[in-house]
Amino acid sequence: MSDLVWKSMTELARLIASKAASPVEVVQAHLDRIAALDGKLKCYITVLGDSALEAAKAAEAAVMSGNGVGPLHGVPVGLKDLYCTKGVRTTGGSKILGDWVPTEDATVVSRLTAAGAIVLGKLNMHEFAYGPEGLNPHYGTPWNPWDAATHRICGGSSSGSGAAVAAGLCPGALGSDTGGSIRIPSSLCGITGIKPTYGRVSRAGVLPLAWSLDHVGPMCRTAMDCALMLGAMAGYDPRDPTTSVLPAPDYLAALTGQIKGLRIGVLRAFYLESTDPAARALVEAAVKALEGLGASVQDVNLELPKHAAAASYAVISPEAYAYHEGWIKTRPRDYGADVRQRLLVGAFVSGADYLKGQRVRALIRDEVDRALGKLDVLVCATTPMPAPAVGQNEVAIGAETQPVRPNLIRFTRPFNLTGHPAASVPCGFTAAGLPVGLQIIGRPFDEATVLRAADAYQRVTDWHTRRPPAAA
Amino acid sequence: MEGLTIDTLRTLARAQGLEPSDEDLAAVLPLVQAGRAMLESLAAIPLGEIEPTSQYRIL
Repeated sequence: MSDLVWKSMTELARLIASKAASPVEVVQAHLDRIAALDGKLKCYITVLGDSALEAAKAAEAAVMSGNGVGPLHGVPVGLKDLYCTKGVRTTGGSKILGDWVPTEDATVVSRLTAAGAIVLGKLNMHEFAYGPEGLNPHYGTPWNPWDAATHRICGGSSSGSGAAVAAGLCPGALGSDTGGSIRIPSSLCGITGIKPTYGRVSRAGVLPLAWSLDHVGPMCRTAMDCALMLGAMAGYDPRDPTTSVLPAPDYLAALTGQIKGLRIGVLRAFYLESTDPAARALVEAAVKALEGLGASVQDVNLELPKHAAAASYAVISPEAYAYHEGWIKTRPRDYGADVRQRLLVGAFVSGADYLKGQRVRALIRDEVDRALGKLDVLVCATTPMPAPAVGQNEVAIGAETQPVRPNLIRFTRPFNLTGHPAASVPCGFTAAGLPVGLQIIGRPFDEATVLRAADAYQRVTDWHTRRPPAAA
Repeated sequence: MEGLTIDTLRTLARAQGLEPSDEDLAAVLPLVQAGRAMLESLAAIPLGEIEPTSQYRIL
């Protein structure tokens, strides 16, 4: 297998721009790897081999003729299969949309390709993004590449994105995040992902799960690659009225490697105190590493995230049901049972309940804002435990047995309610070889500081450079 | 929610034009009951004059 599949996006862009690597070689290396491994990993729903090679040839010709190239020129990406792609089916991981072919690209897809990125294919996911495990009854459940022997979940809903990036089947991917769907698979698959601030990146042309909670973001192996992708995606879009007119900064320029004086709040109550001891030890070590880089650290205890589950239930259930109401009435059997039943729940949440959830949401947001008034970032584990096996409904967290599903999203969904930017970076591995993620939460529209902290951490650690056994 | 049963859930569903199967209703009932319990816990929060989050930090 070519080493090109393990190059970062930043490195690939540099090699291609300097004519040291051919976009055709790069794309072909990834297509070869997909052909070799994806039968087991099931990362892709649709592989776009012919169009990717065609685009790579055009990219190569542009480089050789000395034409200007974009920041992602010739660099392959994968798209979670809920991003509309003109002329290419977009399934949402569903049977319902199994043959649906959009007539235009999502805004972020247009922006990435305008920056020179080449789309390798459409990535597997939890059906309609409604599940944190990343299961899929229609296209097969992606295999977490960190355990070659046991079929473990990748985390969801962007499970194909997480597994593909971890296993070298694409160097970066688009995910989406309604309750943790970028950060959870990033954590469980040992990669880096960021959910930007709500309003930072356009949702136009992205199949919704819950309009007021959905976020669009990159999933890569490094924070630097996330900065590269986010820079190409971020900014106002007239197609999405919730996008901000605030200009997006130069995220790559923000990665100075310096975090001296950065004020870090460590989320203890509700968060670290409810984390599996092995994972917690890795998070504590990561905090020490950040402190060693000159950051100041203090404990923070938030009171209101314990109500996030209720508020989230009140908001996500009716929003998801509202989007699916037509299909759930006319084509209920075309959904997997898991998602159909979760969608039905939304029919039994009243308008008053929804608004109560939105009122509590305002309180939770204000509390996080207040904490970040005195601090630059907050940190905690991304998930309380590493990847469980597919079909495992309970997991031991410390001395307690806990249900898997609500715990997967326990630490991430508060920041979908609040809209703050939040990243997950790998911060170590358990004795079983499963990755653990550190979640870094920042101020609204300050993705640059989140990425700067993540990048500084990755400059002194090598967790993000490890390669999973199922991808060997 | 006391008294919530598969039959009451079916009635509520039909009022909205839904015809879920008995199997689905059996699976949904505990989810709705758990959701109701969570929502009831919100009653302890003093919401005062807090207005719902209706729009985000649009800047």
